[in-house]
Amino acid sequence: MACRSTAWTVALLATSVLFGAYGFASDLHVPFSVNAGQGFSISTEGSGDGTFYLLGPGNVIKRPVKLGAEISITSDDVANSGQYQAILCSSQGCAAATFQVHAGDPARLSFFLHPSRVPVSTPDAIVATAFVFDRYYNPVLQTTKVEFQISSGAGADTTRTIPVQRGVAWMRIGSSNKAGPVRIVASVADIREPRVIQQVAAEACSLRMKATPNAKGALLETDPVRDCSGNPLPDGTIVSFTKTDTTGKTTVDAPIKKGVARAQVELKGHSQISVACGVVLGNEISVAGKT
Amino acid sequence: MILLRAFRLVHAVVLTMMLCAAASAQSASNLPHVTLNADNLGPRPIEQVTGANIARNYAVAWEALTKALEQNRAALLKEQFIGFAKDRLTQRIADQTRTGIHVRVVDQGHRLKAVFYSLDGAAMQLIDEAQIQTQVYDGSKLIYSDTAPHQYLVLMTPGADRWYVRSLESSPSSTP
Repeated sequence: MACRSTAWTVALLATSVLFGAYGFASDLHVPFSVNAGQGFSISTEGSGDGTFYLLGPGNVIKRPVKLGAEISITSDDVANSGQYQAILCSSQGCAAATFQVHAGDPARLSFFLHPSRVPVSTPDAIVATAFVFDRYYNPVLQTTKVEFQISSGAGADTTRTIPVQRGVAWMRIGSSNKAGPVRIVASVADIREPRVIQQVAAEACSLRMKATPNAKGALLETDPVRDCSGNPLPDGTIVSFTKTDTTGKTTVDAPIKKGVARAQVELKGHSQISVACGVVLGNEISVAGKT
Repeated sequence: MILLRAFRLVHAVVLTMMLCAAASAQSASNLPHVTLNADNLGPRPIEQVTGANIARNYAVAWEALTKALEQNRAALLKEQFIGFAKDRLTQRIADQTRTGIHVRVVDQGHRLKAVFYSLDGAAMQLIDEAQIQTQVYDGSKLIYSDTAPHQYLVLMTPGADRWYVRSLESSPSSTP
């Protein structure tokens, strides 16, 4: 199979060489490369009528031409970057030439900031990725740099400049130790694309609760629930109280409201009560209830 | 001049015979051969299953592209291409239809090298060293033949059940 494939390649290459030898490449003069959206002219040689073809990544042109005259290529004809084949056919045969259209100057940014919410004090947790395009949405492969300006409530703004590789620039940073929005603006040339994500409190730290006996049993209440940087965990975060007494084990889930979580439990005899939030286990207390 | 025309005629016949034979061999094996090299890929490492899916989806995309360009039917692109890639190929096929052009591609395989995989897994950039031969026809007349290796800069993004080709940018094969 490989042998057959190689044979095909050799045969095709050989015939291609022959094709090229009897083609009329000298009849057609194209630039080696042009920028997308930049019109130009192709000079031809000879006399009489011919047909000109232009095959690009996203378009095909066919038009009658006079040999010896210049063929005008408009900006729209070469709006897409990539390889183009220019072909000129006459009664003498066809000549072909290939040229490359490069993306123009940066004009658009596709900017992604990930994730939308990130815990504080987490290294390399925020990822910024920017794809750079020209005005025709061609990826800009030429050397350029993207500037990422980072603003959060934790200190002065910082800027990182990242070189674009194959149309992409990316970086990652750690989250700060203060909850709140972080704003990153990606910019290249005069294009600026802002994105905002939220830094939220990390896991609870030093989780503690107390029990206040009452007529119905006991009211369990945590201290204000904060992470290790002192950020309050958001309201709605679930705290689990687990009670073990003579009736067995019971778990009550309670959302944090205004910084603390509360739950009313009935107690039968001596009870062991523990508290947890996410993966964090808090203190454990013993309470004497009704017998 | 007579010798020249005879030479061209022989060339066209030989090339057509080879393309037909190659095309039948290709249809027997269905998808073009695609290999994926993900060494030194970053910043996100690639899972083995993801790599296999990308290679297969890219092969399916090229099979669809080859058929669409030859038959001038954009519908054959199906859902393998999205975004700019699909817009451009659809326009290209519409132009081919309008001008009476069609393109025959003999696909002898692709060597993919993954060069960027975003940390969130939302995009992968690859370089394709493609071994393809193309012939351009105006009606039934061969007007262009190309056997040079091609290089493509490819951007693929994941969907619900496959990876899509979002950008397919041809470039000179000498470009790194």
